[in-house]
Amino acid sequence: MSDEELNPLFHPDGSAEGGDVAPGDASEESAGHWVLNSNLGLGFSIVLTVAAFVLAGSHIIYGPSVPVALIVLAIAQMGVHLVFFLHVTTGPDNTNNVLALAFGILVVFLIIAGSMWIMSHLSHNMMPMNQLARMQP
Amino acid sequence: MFGKLNWSAIPIDQPIPLITSMVLILIILGVLGLITAKGWWPYLWREWITTVDHKRIGIMYCLLGVVMLIRGFSDAIMMRSQQALAIHAAGYLPPEHYDQIFSAHGTIMIFFAAMPMVIGMMNFVTPLQLGVRDVAFPTMNSVSFWLTAAGALLVNMSLFIGEFARTGWLPYPPLSETAYSPGVGVDYYLWAVQISGVGTLMTGINFVTTVLKMRCPGMSYLRMPMFCWTTLAASLLIVAVFPILTATLAMLSLDRFFGWHFFTNTAGGNPMMFVNLIWAWGHPEVYILVLPAFGIFSEVFSTFSGKPLFGYRSMVAATLFICIVSMMVWLHHFFTMGSGPAVNTAFGIATSVIAVGTGVKIYNWIFTMYGGRVRFSVPMLWSLGFIFTFVIGGMTGVLLAVPPADFLVHNSMFLVAHFHNVIVGGVIFGLFAGLDYWFPKAFGFRLHQGWGKATFWFAIVGFWVTFAPLYWLGLEGMTRRLQHINVEAWRPMLYVSLFGVGLLVIGVICQVVMLVVSILRRDELRDVTGDPWDGRSLEWATPSPAPFFNFAVLPNVEGEEAYWGIKLRAIETQHLSPEPKYEPIEMPANSPVGFFTAFFATVTGFSLIWQIWWLAALGLVAAFAGFVVFAWRDVHDFHVPADEVARVDRARRAAREAEIERLAQQGALP
Amino acid sequence: MSDLPATVETLRRLHEDPHRLGHSGHGREGPVPGTGHGESGPASKRIIVGYGFWIFLLSDIVLFSCFFAAFAVERGATNGGPGIRDLVEMPRVGLETGALLLSSYTCGLSFAATNAKSRLWTQVFLIITGLLGLAFVLMELQEFVSLWARGIFPQRSGFLTAFFGLVGCHGLHVTLAGVWLATMMAQIQVKGFRPEIVHRLICFNLFWHALDIVWIGIFTIVYLMGVGP
Repeated sequence: MSDEELNPLFHPDGSAEGGDVAPGDASEESAGHWVLNSNLGLGFSIVLTVAAFVLAGSHIIYGPSVPVALIVLAIAQMGVHLVFFLHVTTGPDNTNNVLALAFGILVVFLIIAGSMWIMSHLSHNMMPMNQLARMQP
Repeated sequence: MFGKLNWSAIPIDQPIPLITSMVLILIILGVLGLITAKGWWPYLWREWITTVDHKRIGIMYCLLGVVMLIRGFSDAIMMRSQQALAIHAAGYLPPEHYDQIFSAHGTIMIFFAAMPMVIGMMNFVTPLQLGVRDVAFPTMNSVSFWLTAAGALLVNMSLFIGEFARTGWLPYPPLSETAYSPGVGVDYYLWAVQISGVGTLMTGINFVTTVLKMRCPGMSYLRMPMFCWTTLAASLLIVAVFPILTATLAMLSLDRFFGWHFFTNTAGGNPMMFVNLIWAWGHPEVYILVLPAFGIFSEVFSTFSGKPLFGYRSMVAATLFICIVSMMVWLHHFFTMGSGPAVNTAFGIATSVIAVGTGVKIYNWIFTMYGGRVRFSVPMLWSLGFIFTFVIGGMTGVLLAVPPADFLVHNSMFLVAHFHNVIVGGVIFGLFAGLDYWFPKAFGFRLHQGWGKATFWFAIVGFWVTFAPLYWLGLEGMTRRLQHINVEAWRPMLYVSLFGVGLLVIGVICQVVMLVVSILRRDELRDVTGDPWDGRSLEWATPSPAPFFNFAVLPNVEGEEAYWGIKLRAIETQHLSPEPKYEPIEMPANSPVGFFTAFFATVTGFSLIWQIWWLAALGLVAAFAGFVVFAWRDVHDFHVPADEVARVDRARRAAREAEIERLAQQGALP
Repeated sequence: MSDLPATVETLRRLHEDPHRLGHSGHGREGPVPGTGHGESGPASKRIIVGYGFWIFLLSDIVLFSCFFAAFAVERGATNGGPGIRDLVEMPRVGLETGALLLSSYTCGLSFAATNAKSRLWTQVFLIITGLLGLAFVLMELQEFVSLWARGIFPQRSGFLTAFFGLVGCHGLHVTLAGVWLATMMAQIQVKGFRPEIVHRLICFNLFWHALDIVWIGIFTIVYLMGVGP
């Protein structure tokens, strides 16, 4: 039992094909592959992090586009983490994991974007008269 | 030493809560004394308190839900009678007490009556229908249950020690902030809901994993019974939105405990943000309740019409559609807050669109009955009553989804009537149908049909007599939560509504009588074959009551309606499939970790409510220690010997053979 | 039910109805391949545990998203007090980020060592992970204390409440993960690589990486976008 359980490829009916892989587990299993992935992940992450920190403190690119660039870099780095550290792949053994991830991203998007949209309209509509007057040119 | 707790917390001067809690304490002491006198503690501890069997946990969930349903219903009786008595008069409930009652009614009904019963059904049925032996995380399941029970305990403690929230079932700030609610009432709400919410979240995780990863061989997605699909959808919603509840209530607690400014109306806090976040949880929550009820109706309609569910795939699609879209409509609870036309329109349209998914389901159920051999048993009656009631509730919902119309009836009795219309007509009717439907699988005998039918008729007539007047009153301009009424014209309708409550009381009495009569006459109501309703899904392939390992051998599913196929073949050939080779079964061992976690959660919650910080810290440390002890244990499961498995399964096979024999003798077989 | 069950009725119709008009194709067909997963029965415990924890992470991320939303909404509500620009010390944020990123890396290595069944290297990498996490928490704590000393605390304004709420929530998660890590290292030492312990290591690995992903959001949205031009 325990030996089989230690092997991520283990499947009760003995077939590895068409089975699933736990999130954060990898199907082609070798410590070397795992370490390689980690090294790649660390390398990409360092590049992206340094880029973000440099951009934020400087005027290399057009000022108003900095927040957008920062968000793009953050999303890229999250992707790097998912692929290289969490071993999320597009393979069929990962379908359930990716679907759950997509569902989570949808929920997060709905909450953050929905809240910001609702609350910004609300604070615009509900602004006290004196502040509204101050906003007029 | 004891924070804010002192003797003045006991409501000596208020007769109603004092007498009620005295009676309750006496009842509890009596029950505990009886258990001690009879020496039942070892049995209870071994078979129920520490059990990790999903069926037992499901039964305990339902029991908790039913008890809390009665508690919530007594709150409802008090509210209806207060309003009927307080027309140009004082009534018998002072405002601060009345406010606690309507707050407790909503909180208890949603969190501690409807949720436990829905989750109880999911627990009991889903693994059986999937053809597996337990849920994905059996011990965590027990923790979930006990945390829910701990929350329920805390709410009911507020009756006797201190007070409950006076803020409504969702504590809107700034009213719920310390400045306006300095007492412990809101804290009781916060910690009770927080603790049970964690339990619910774990249930959600458990069932998503169970449905997606634990299915018997051959049970592909599109062969799962409808109830499993709705369980999956509801669990996904739990996982998606209960964290929002946790976060929002945590923010409110930070405001109250430490003077932070998430939701205050001073220092840049934003009370509307609370309303926004809480409904981002609150709207999906009603679908968490109603989707499993839809699943129950799907099973009932199909079984009692003797036909496969009409439009199974469209039903699956509609369920998942509702699951996703229900997270995009939350603003319709606060159209009037002032977000403006763009936002209101978008959410209004989304709200109307979600009705399409429900409409698909309603038509599918109707077409399931069409051309079928419909048997009007009790579960079927509840389901038919549901279609009638829920459609009307849904249509008033679509009315409320139109922002200009909503502006007129927002927070009126019309709204109250609407959501009772969908929650009672949808969720409660569904749960009662499910109780009657799966009761034999849980206990081995059916419920008495006559008393069940009486319950149904009193419930549906009582429901309409109670709530139809509230629609009227809402259109007349009566707002909700009134403790005192000074409009003479509302008097007749309030009396009619109170009369309806009387009918509902008779319905409850019928329900209790039904239970007692069924237990007394259990021998003639015995379900021998394990398939009392001529069912179609795998739970009916097991004996009644189902053995703790569910299936002697995991079934091998070869099509939709797994058990139906097996049964057709058996009856046609007049033989069961050949006896399988029985093997020992590995089952998870009992664990007291759920009970201890809940005990420490109650202690911690209670001490946080009264701000007894040292006790709270102690409770948390003890809970952590408990988990470590659990993680350290060596024995996780035990083996059921093959002989025992064979004995149980041979008894089942013998009963089924006898049934086939009986049918053959009737000359019914082709 | 007594007399004639619907099963019998269905069979009778099937026999009387050669064109099978009364039969809608359920129940009697053979297995249909490719209709979904699950042909082979329940998944192994390893997959179940990993997947369950993945779902938990999903819910935890949703929890964070509420704090992010609160921060986004109350970002400007400074109530005349300090704004985000007055809070950020870039070098410290850089160090915190470095510590957490490196700990993610060592955490991944520890799991590689687990798969290679090397208890020593697993423990070594786990302890490095834990120490880096501790360094992160201490730096954050020091940040909070120094802000407090400057009169910047959550009771001051809606903005500061949202800031401390979001960053503190993450810090609390890292702290709890550290407690978990310490417990589990003791367990590995006492019990070795039992299946259930390896399952928990998978979960811990996931949790630690997820916390790093949340931190990417925090340092970008709270800190870097706060000091932007």
